[in-house]
Amino acid sequence: MEHATGFILPNSGHNRDAEASKMGMWLFLFTELLLFGGLFIVYMVYRLMNHDAFLLSSFELNVVMGTVNTIVLLVSSMTIAMSITAIQKGNSILSIKLLATTLILSLVFMIIKYFEWSSKIHHGLFPGMEYYGNLPKGEALFFFLYFFMTGLHALHIIIGAVLIAVVIYRTKKGEVHSENYTLTENAGLYWHLVDLIWIYLFPLFYLIH
Amino acid sequence: MENHKNHHNDDQHETHHIASYKEHFSTLAALLLLTFVTVVVSVFGANLATLSVATALLIATIKVIVVAYYFMHLKYEKKIYSWLILLVVVLFVAFTVITAIEYLNR
Repeated sequence: MEHATGFILPNSGHNRDAEASKMGMWLFLFTELLLFGGLFIVYMVYRLMNHDAFLLSSFELNVVMGTVNTIVLLVSSMTIAMSITAIQKGNSILSIKLLATTLILSLVFMIIKYFEWSSKIHHGLFPGMEYYGNLPKGEALFFFLYFFMTGLHALHIIIGAVLIAVVIYRTKKGEVHSENYTLTENAGLYWHLVDLIWIYLFPLFYLIH
Repeated sequence: MENHKNHHNDDQHETHHIASYKEHFSTLAALLLLTFVTVVVSVFGANLATLSVATALLIATIKVIVVAYYFMHLKYEKKIYSWLILLVVVLFVAFTVITAIEYLNR
């Protein structure tokens, strides 16, 4: 790949720093953690103030759908972790297949989320709807936080899916390979973060009764 | 800019340990088992309300550590990443505890 000139300018645009790139990704993930962390603190405070209303409202959520989505995300986390192993071993085709599996699983997650949200909205539980407006304060807070936090999380799923699609495209073009797979690693880190946040969202909203 | 000072071309290849497919699969199996436990505790231990919330959060934390350690490669990563994560966690726990104390004492 390298030209045999024996001389490359220090910053000619051909040098990469995989370590710095990864560190940058981690620093970004910390800001994401604190973004969701702040929301978890809001959740904790409102729950301390409206304990019974939160317990009551959580029965409205579908534990089966929540559990299936948890499993979907965990499996997708494994497939993207395996895609890094594949690209490190030089198996681009397997890496692409595993990334595509992750992409399909993210779609499955969003479809299940769509059905969950539609049934809640059908019952008038979305903030701003008439039924929501007549709910007791504690229950209204629960559903506001439910829609806001799972909505923000779903937005992260969409961003992650776009990122994975970019990785697939660039692996296909041969720009990502066994000597340069930082993009795959960083997409993986982002996807795992999305999984981590769901690991906490799931028990806090679906399993508190 | 500082690249040329201490950049060894071979470095990047040597330091990377490749995690095996088998290890990733075992990790998933452990995570699914923990998910199963947390759902069972929640659904069938409903009369132990406070206990089940504490258990659910404990299991979630174990799952998060497993994901970070194996899937996010902290096992093979430089120690600096673990230290930075610890710093962020301590910061978050401090905020949480201070806020909780404030509201519990009203």
